[in-house]
Amino acid sequence: MSLTRSILLSLIGLLSFSIFAKTQDILIKNATVITSTELGVLEETDVLIQNGAISLVSENIDIDTVITGTTVIEANGRVLTAGLLAPVTNLGLIEIELEAETRDDRTDHFSAGFSISSAFNPSSTLIPYNRASGITSAIVFPSSGRGDIFSGLGSVFKTHGDIDTQSISTDIAMIMQMGGNTDSRASNFLELEDAFLKAKQFKKSRNIIQRGGFFDSGEYSERDLEALLNLTEERKPLIVKTNRASDMLRMIEFAKVHEINIIFHGAKEAWRIADRLAEEKIPVIIDPMDNIPSSFDSIGARIDGASILTESGVTVLIGITDAHNSFLSRQGAGNAVANGMDQYEAMKALTINIAKAFGLADSIGSIEVGKNADLVLWDGDPLEVMTFADIVIIDGRIMSGMTRSKRLRDRYLRVIGLD
Amino acid sequence: MTFGSICIHLFHLEHKGEIMILNPKYSSLITALVLILFGTISAQSQINEKELINYAYESTYKPEESGKVIITNANILTGNGDSILDASILMHKNKIVAVGKDLDQSDAMVIDAEGKWVTPGIIDIHSHMGVYPAPSLRSNSDGNEATSPTTPHVWAEHSVWTQDPQYTLALKGGITSFHVLVGSANLIGGRGVTLKNIRSRTVQGMKFPNAPYTLKMACGENPKRVYGGRKSEPSTRMGNVAGYRNAWIEAQAYQRRLTEYAEKSDEAKEMSYSPSRDLGLETLVGVLEGDILVQMHCYRGEEMAVMLDVAKEFDYKITTFHHAIEAYKVADILAQNSVCAAMWADWWGFKNEAFDMVWENTAIVDQAEEKTGCAIVHSDSAVDIQRLNQQAAKALAAGQKSGLDIDKGRAIQWITLNPAIALGIDDQVGSIEPGKMADIVIWSHDPFSVYSKAEKVFIDGHLKFDIDDPASFKRTDFDIGIIDPEGDRL
Repeated sequence: MSLTRSILLSLIGLLSFSIFAKTQDILIKNATVITSTELGVLEETDVLIQNGAISLVSENIDIDTVITGTTVIEANGRVLTAGLLAPVTNLGLIEIELEAETRDDRTDHFSAGFSISSAFNPSSTLIPYNRASGITSAIVFPSSGRGDIFSGLGSVFKTHGDIDTQSISTDIAMIMQMGGNTDSRASNFLELEDAFLKAKQFKKSRNIIQRGGFFDSGEYSERDLEALLNLTEERKPLIVKTNRASDMLRMIEFAKVHEINIIFHGAKEAWRIADRLAEEKIPVIIDPMDNIPSSFDSIGARIDGASILTESGVTVLIGITDAHNSFLSRQGAGNAVANGMDQYEAMKALTINIAKAFGLADSIGSIEVGKNADLVLWDGDPLEVMTFADIVIIDGRIMSGMTRSKRLRDRYLRVIGLD
Repeated sequence: MTFGSICIHLFHLEHKGEIMILNPKYSSLITALVLILFGTISAQSQINEKELINYAYESTYKPEESGKVIITNANILTGNGDSILDASILMHKNKIVAVGKDLDQSDAMVIDAEGKWVTPGIIDIHSHMGVYPAPSLRSNSDGNEATSPTTPHVWAEHSVWTQDPQYTLALKGGITSFHVLVGSANLIGGRGVTLKNIRSRTVQGMKFPNAPYTLKMACGENPKRVYGGRKSEPSTRMGNVAGYRNAWIEAQAYQRRLTEYAEKSDEAKEMSYSPSRDLGLETLVGVLEGDILVQMHCYRGEEMAVMLDVAKEFDYKITTFHHAIEAYKVADILAQNSVCAAMWADWWGFKNEAFDMVWENTAIVDQAEEKTGCAIVHSDSAVDIQRLNQQAAKALAAGQKSGLDIDKGRAIQWITLNPAIALGIDDQVGSIEPGKMADIVIWSHDPFSVYSKAEKVFIDGHLKFDIDDPASFKRTDFDIGIIDPEGDRL
């Protein structure tokens, strides 16, 4: 550990009670800035944060010109990236998978219109744990609905852990499952057709309903139909969990007919239709490490899928389904690079590609003036497995890096006599 | 011999519901017959009667004799804790012959490692490949006989599907040997099997030669959830412990019956029946006699301590605690008892007993009691088995970050020598030293980097995977023509 760094860290330690969790002006000096924009990587660059936002990205920002009281972080060449986004995660919804009462990711009653936003628990132990490893925003989705193809609506949360955490963008996308269940996939497609048909009828009947007229919403609630209509009217994305290449092709046709935006999730065979996905500008969310042909729908799973997709011009979003270790998307990205993916593209797959696909790119996902100051300073290459996040900043607040896990570590290092 | 009576039962005679022992005067004849049948009379002329019990299931893996191969300009992590820079490894006739500088290269095929890192073949002590293969189909799900809390009579090898496509994926991650366990639904789940990562039509053809048998046992949530959910015992952790103890009491009684019978005079034996064979109790007696190694799924620290007491009560040894999420809480006790802990780098929270995970778990176990701990990084996953080196790297990084003095030479042992020790095969694999099987991996980068890939994987001196030659590795049956009839899965 360099001297400056240790001084800095001890400084953070001393000041922890005063500086953590308060929005403050921060100047990060001499960072290797991976912008996740067209500007690429900027060496020896300073980043100024004011009022929770990035206000200047430039070489040699003069300390004398910044307001007194600005915290200065000497990066010494360390890598600074935008905070990582977890796309399609249960972060904040699950504490322990096998303990049903600690789970809020499922419903037995609701369908397409099931909004998960009120279930998010900012005090979950998973939040500081993943934050300390670089996740600053979570796009939180329910895992399953009442049993039809729809699981519900996702919302976006920052991971600062404030007890009054509000979604920064609510009900931004719908998630559904196509194929791979006991019902025929043909039935899944009919179900989808019927749901959209019903939503269209609902739209036409709105006036009648407002005047107190009767509308038979069938097996869906009016909430579900509103949510489905939002997919066409507001072009909110529909996340389609599916793996088989031919299912994806049919889904693309469906999306064109109904004028909806789709994003594929899982998509183990997406590489087989990479050109088509690129042509239709459909993003895919994948876990590059999951190359297991775990079902007959994912026979084509392969370790270099992310590379093939990126080369073909498909927008790749990297995410890990395990909420507890959402941050391992970094390792996924590293493995994608090891198997041919461009390194910068891999970094974008953890940040700006996710923000763009979900319509969040105005505020998060890259290091650009005007965006939220959600930043991570790393002690090495952020895609490396032996790298740690040194400093995590959300909305201009330097977050505590402490986790329950680290507390246990420290306790038992003493017990075992290794401290 | 305790097992002398049992072995004969390969040719047992049924008599009034009991199995009658053959007259011992025929037993040598029978043994000879067995040996002829299996065609190994010369190699096995001194066959131990104890081994006969497993004879029908012996490994048939015999690698073709490999030629002289020398890997030069290698930076070697030996698996013994050392690093040897810029050295060579000579392999011949399936074994490592020499390690060092200025080795004689004559007649050898030379592979220039160009300064790359070379490690022993990676060993995963916890895998379900073959018994929970891909694709995950009900008809292929053969890993857990979850029909009774104690099933020591089942053997994982009798479930193994030899054409699981996951094997070749693991091979590309440098895995040369792996231990297949039954699942953890049961207190006593059954025998595990150690396999070499080679393609064969038969499980016997994959079996690691002369590897000891293992017994899977499980602590904690799984047995009590599975059986408690059926309103049967065990439904609590105390029910679990009562279950193990009852099983060992039964095993001790059986062991006594066997011993008493074995100690009878020949005349007395002719006058009496031998104890009936009991598949489950034979396995448990194997543990009591130290021939079968206990591999115990156990997450919590206090449960590990309780299990060590159960082992003390019945005088057997637990070799390894698997999924030992809380091993760091009892790392000193584990080291004092010479018990290994097999751990993940960072899995946690999927159930309550996995809630107290720390990244430094492996490092703390390793460093406990003046660095005498036995730490292993395992996968339990067909995804993570492909990058066990990265899991070890994460565990190493966490240990170093918390101030523990561990280097890569030591950390590589977590996925090489230590699992070999815990599987009782460390005399044959786990490190790069003369006399051991030539199981070697050449890595593209530092194996503790996410960018590192296994470039060349040797098993018993044969190049089984070469990253530059897609034709180098043998696909499983499943991989062939499965995406389209003309091609193979990668």
